[in-house]
Amino acid sequence: MAILIQPYRQKHEAAVVAFNRRLQSGGAEPDLVFYEHATPTWLPPDGNSVFNQYFVAVENTTVRGAYALKWQNFWFADGTVRAIGYYHHPLSEGIINKSYALVGTLLLRDAMQRAPLLYCLGMGGYNRPLPKMLIGLGWAHCLVPFYFRVVRPYRFLRQMQALRTSFWRKLAMDLAAFSGTGWAGAECYRMAVSFRNARSASHEVKTEREFSDWVNPLWERARLECAMAAVRDSATLARLYPAGDSHFTRLKISRRGGEIGWAVVGERRKDSKYGSLRVGSVVDCLAASGDMLPVVQAASNTLEELGMDLIVTNQSHQAWCRAFEAAGFFKAESNFIFAASKKLAELLDPFALHKPCLHFTRADGDGLPRNF
Amino acid sequence: MTSTILDQIRIMASDLFGVPAERISAASTPETIETWDSIQHLNLVLALEEKFGVQLSPEEIEQMKSIGEVAELVEGKLQGTPN
Repeated sequence: MAILIQPYRQKHEAAVVAFNRRLQSGGAEPDLVFYEHATPTWLPPDGNSVFNQYFVAVENTTVRGAYALKWQNFWFADGTVRAIGYYHHPLSEGIINKSYALVGTLLLRDAMQRAPLLYCLGMGGYNRPLPKMLIGLGWAHCLVPFYFRVVRPYRFLRQMQALRTSFWRKLAMDLAAFSGTGWAGAECYRMAVSFRNARSASHEVKTEREFSDWVNPLWERARLECAMAAVRDSATLARLYPAGDSHFTRLKISRRGGEIGWAVVGERRKDSKYGSLRVGSVVDCLAASGDMLPVVQAASNTLEELGMDLIVTNQSHQAWCRAFEAAGFFKAESNFIFAASKKLAELLDPFALHKPCLHFTRADGDGLPRNF
Repeated sequence: MTSTILDQIRIMASDLFGVPAERISAASTPETIETWDSIQHLNLVLALEEKFGVQLSPEEIEQMKSIGEVAELVEGKLQGTPN
């Protein structure tokens, strides 16, 4: 086999369709398909600093693998801003045909050559092939904590399929739902948290149609507390959350007339693990550390008012984690992994020291178009 | 093939695969070294590129079926001859 990895062009589209068909007929999971249009619909390469590129691994005229590379500027604690690559959607024929087992490694190596400062995010847990490979290559890595808040305990207990995994679990959850103990427990906890945070109620929340210049001073202030964070200035936010995109609600949080933070919230697409629950997500957020709690409360209240049963978020920065906990969110097991190439990890050295100040959310992955 | 390059690659492979260098020869392959899997294959490629300052194409990476072939490939690259 002679594999050549090259930019995905229109002439490859039919071969990608055939590649997807082979993966599916070979038993690959339903979501393991590559984009069938060569030009990305999300963040196309049109001169903006945030953009996607697609690449295909071609043997003669047959596509044997593909991956996507998202480019975005990131801020580092030393004050530099660098273009960083995010490696996503790697797919290899090796999933269904052992003769192509090496394609996955060739794809990753190609991405590392194109973007030596490279990261991966999400990946579904450490038992999956990609994180295993990254760890084998000596990438620095950590879990991005997952937080949730149950808004409607009855519906949560009855519908949360990911937890209703055995007869006894279902029985226990149904008993808690029907007896009202689930509701009582959640209410007591919420009241305790509200009492503790009563002082933080003096903020105003406004829904914005789009992000504009007012976010820039916030970005310049908040970034100083981050070891690494994707640039979140007005141009970037307008790119990620364009005014016409109704999947997201953009919140501006102010105190005494001055902006103190923002958040982006949205309802996740239906997912079988959540049953019929309406799941809201705090997709993205920014504030200086003293102002995070009102931002979390505003985001959470907005999703509650929109009728969500459950609110979830992933947050890597320790100050955001503390803010979500203070707002009544529970921490649960995460399968959302951040992994940095060796070259990128050099910028974060020592990784253990900088890890708590990395600011990664769901917005830094490929989840914006996939999940909303 | 110069013994120097082969020896350097044997030592490199020993570190990567966790196998004593004396147990690695030109004839060693992924079949004879249990820890030589696709991840370590990529680690070997990255280590070769860094140590010898060469660039390996996907086709060349696939052709690295034994330590001897790896050494021949690197030597050919350093001499500027196609393999």
